[in-house]
Amino acid sequence: MKAIKLFRVKREKRLNRSMAGNTLLFLLMIACGLAMILPLVMVVNNCLKPLDELFQYPPKIFVRNPTLENFSDLFRLMNDSWVPFSRYILNTILITGGGMLGHVIIASLAAYPLAKHRFPGKDTLFRMVVLSMMFSWTVTQIPQYVIISWLHINNTYMALILPACSFGMGLYLMKQFMEQLPDSLMESARLDGANEWQVFWQIVMPNVKPAWLTLAIFQFQQMWGNTGSTFLRDEELKPLQYALFQISAGGAARAGAAAAVTFIIAAVPITFFLICQKNVLETMTTSGIKE
Amino acid sequence: MKEKRKLTLTQKRGLKGYLFILPWFIGFAIFYVRSLIMTVEFSFAKLTVSPGAGGYSLEGKGLENYLYAFRAHGSFKQTLTSSVGNMLIDVPLILFFSLFMALLLNQKFRGRGIVRAIFFLPVILNSDALKAAISLSEAMMNGGIATQAAEVSGAASSVLAFDLDYLINMFVNFGLPVKVLSYVTAAVGRINDIISASGVQIIIFIAALQSIPSSMYEVARIEGATAYETFWKVTLPLVMPHVITNMVYTIVDHFSRSDVVELAYSTAFTEFNYGLSAVFSIISTVVTLLILALLVRAIQKNTFYYN
Repeated sequence: MKAIKLFRVKREKRLNRSMAGNTLLFLLMIACGLAMILPLVMVVNNCLKPLDELFQYPPKIFVRNPTLENFSDLFRLMNDSWVPFSRYILNTILITGGGMLGHVIIASLAAYPLAKHRFPGKDTLFRMVVLSMMFSWTVTQIPQYVIISWLHINNTYMALILPACSFGMGLYLMKQFMEQLPDSLMESARLDGANEWQVFWQIVMPNVKPAWLTLAIFQFQQMWGNTGSTFLRDEELKPLQYALFQISAGGAARAGAAAAVTFIIAAVPITFFLICQKNVLETMTTSGIKE
Repeated sequence: MKEKRKLTLTQKRGLKGYLFILPWFIGFAIFYVRSLIMTVEFSFAKLTVSPGAGGYSLEGKGLENYLYAFRAHGSFKQTLTSSVGNMLIDVPLILFFSLFMALLLNQKFRGRGIVRAIFFLPVILNSDALKAAISLSEAMMNGGIATQAAEVSGAASSVLAFDLDYLINMFVNFGLPVKVLSYVTAAVGRINDIISASGVQIIIFIAALQSIPSSMYEVARIEGATAYETFWKVTLPLVMPHVITNMVYTIVDHFSRSDVVELAYSTAFTEFNYGLSAVFSIISTVVTLLILALLVRAIQKNTFYYN
């Protein structure tokens, strides 16, 4: 009896994480993390380098004499642009924000019945969603263009926002998370007299907040990288990305401005990610039901 | 009096469900179903873009494109098999790695937000916009970074190659099956790809871990479960449905970056052979779908659903 007890204690000690195990995991994470952060370190340092350091050979990772010259260069170039620069920023906010909000809301709305209701045609619809995700949409630029012209939304924001709203990925992600919610949660809300609309907004959505915040991060990233050059022809409609590329593509003399541009393009989605991640953590501590 | 057929409660709810789906479905039908149908049409025809208001004309060719793709095209079959093979190697590795990382990043430690952001970086850095910007600034620095990187990797590979050969021989002598060994070496060679392809998966797994009710862990602790037991009996079963989610995402993501898609893209936009390119994308989509269906079925059997 005693031997068995001793054995158990020993086994537990081995299986619970030890100090050495923690250190090992920590080292592993540092190694992986370093590999990932290196390009960003380069981007940050490059945007602070004066021109002579940018062209130094062999290049150094870290900046010697940090300067904000690159940014002032960039702002000066911005002022020279044909369309006021604030217009580009507004365009980007509208396109990225519209595409992200539209996608999250519409996909969540559609995911709720797919996850929690029973109706004919449900499985077929879901299979179609998976099929649509597998298809390589880069190849379908011609049909996309024909459809956009057919709808007469060519050369408007809608040409970028509407297709983003109804992509299958968000629906799939939201459905997988909503399926995990216990039915009793919704049932109790219905017994208290909530209609489906209220159940959706007040019960389902708050409980899958990590899921839709994840989706928002994901979609923001997708929309942010969009230069919109296929569908937008007017200069007044083009997003920030496009303008920044125009500036940085001006040859070696603009290398500094280009480095600053790279920094801005990287910094915004990272900031957005940090904000969203923080909210994911704050909400989930309170969820869960008592049976 | 009342001729109207009474609907049951669940049927009524189902009807409301259609209303919820409608906005999404309209967009889906217009943008995606329609362009899918058009792509299928293209695959049976020869497409010529005619100048003017976005016009094109189709000339029916039957199965000719399909036959050409399989019988005459130089690289399609090899590209397809190698892409599928790579996918089969990468997908399990990405899934294990991202689950492992999510478990680590889900723990409480200082600076967790920053560390998570670091692991999400590859996704951000992989975007087209940023890649273009970075390569632009690299090109402007007279390719200094590129040449140096090539020198370093050249030197490293000559050192590594010696060690690898030695190690592989040693393991073969120990009697390890060559197939296992080649899988491991292929995996090691791709560590960077795997790490940088698992950003979104880590996030999905973290969200999945966050949505496990804390009462589950409390019960496990009260019952005296060790951390090891808690993982296998509580965490893994509850995360299992999201393993499928992540697998689907990984396959989609991997596929969209694979050589087959690149081949289809270049066929369409540098050789302007839209019909053939449509055939490539349809065939590769069907193949990946089949693989996906098999894998999902295999995992779903062992999955526990909360309700």
